Amino acid sequence: MASAPPPSVARLYRPNRFVSLPAELDPDTYDTSPEKRRAEAERLAIRSQLKRQYLLQLNNPSPPAVIEDPALIRWAYAKSQNVYPTFRPTPKTSFLGAAYALGPLLFWIAVLKAHRDYKEKRIQEGKYKRPFSVFF
Amino acid sequence: SEMSMDMMPGPYPRTPEERAAAAKKYNMRVEDYQPYPDDGFGYGDYPMLPNKSQYERDPWYQWDQPDMRHNWGEPMHWHFDMYIRNRADTSPTVVPWHTMSKHFFIFLGTMLAMFGLGAIYPSYMPVGPKQYPFNDLYLEKGGDPNKKPPPVIHYEI
Repeated sequence: MASAPPPSVARLYRPNRFVSLPAELDPDTYDTSPEKRRAEAERLAIRSQLKRQYLLQLNNPSPPAVIEDPALIRWAYAKSQNVYPTFRPTPKTSFLGAAYALGPLLFWIAVLKAHRDYKEKRIQEGKYKRPFSVFF
Repeated sequence: SEMSMDMMPGPYPRTPEERAAAAKKYNMRVEDYQPYPDDGFGYGDYPMLPNKSQYERDPWYQWDQPDMRHNWGEPMHWHFDMYIRNRADTSPTVVPWHTMSKHFFIFLGTMLAMFGLGAIYPSYMPVGPKQYPFNDLYLEKGGDPNKKPPPVIHYEI
């Protein structure tokens, strides 16, 4: 009686959310279709244009003091100043906002109050020996 | 700087023309450009790049910025500052992730369970009360030297 063939190494590896698949197990490495080649060629064309602009500025006899990277400026702008105009209150965002803003506050209020009430009850009953400390 | 407002990120693109314009703005191909889903979280039209850290990029290629492994003008990941080489690393691991997490949690769970059981049911060799000399240290514990101390006998014959 024959059992099933052993599972392939790719399936044993199981793609997950945290790390990427190694290149040998990724089917994208073995994809040699013309569409992929044309995509790579277009990306290379864009890349060479950008590199030409960068090298023109870099090798300029009187170069500017700082060669600004528009990608960096866009990234900083998107993360800082573009968040407020594009934010929209939806059920998900309002729930998450309340959870992250009020959740920890209410949780710690409850925990500290419960602990202090418990300590107070033990003091009233006489079971708690107050520590003698000169530091606080 | 000399960048105009139409080169800056903007709101979520709705029509295909807006998508094409946004792809051109970010120096990406129109097919590659994929904005974050419009959930109102504040991403706007920023492209959603694959979640790969800078460790995975080719170390031998001549990047414009070798330490960041980033080229001039290339769109940066939203979490770029997390994916730099000093921080989070998404390179493929030698051992599959599920195996690693299984081993770790089994070990952690076993150790915690054993420590918990040991705290609830402590076990030690049986001991008796400590026997002190000089009538159970009568003078050292503040007994009156003029009075006769009570006799303490620790043995049986």
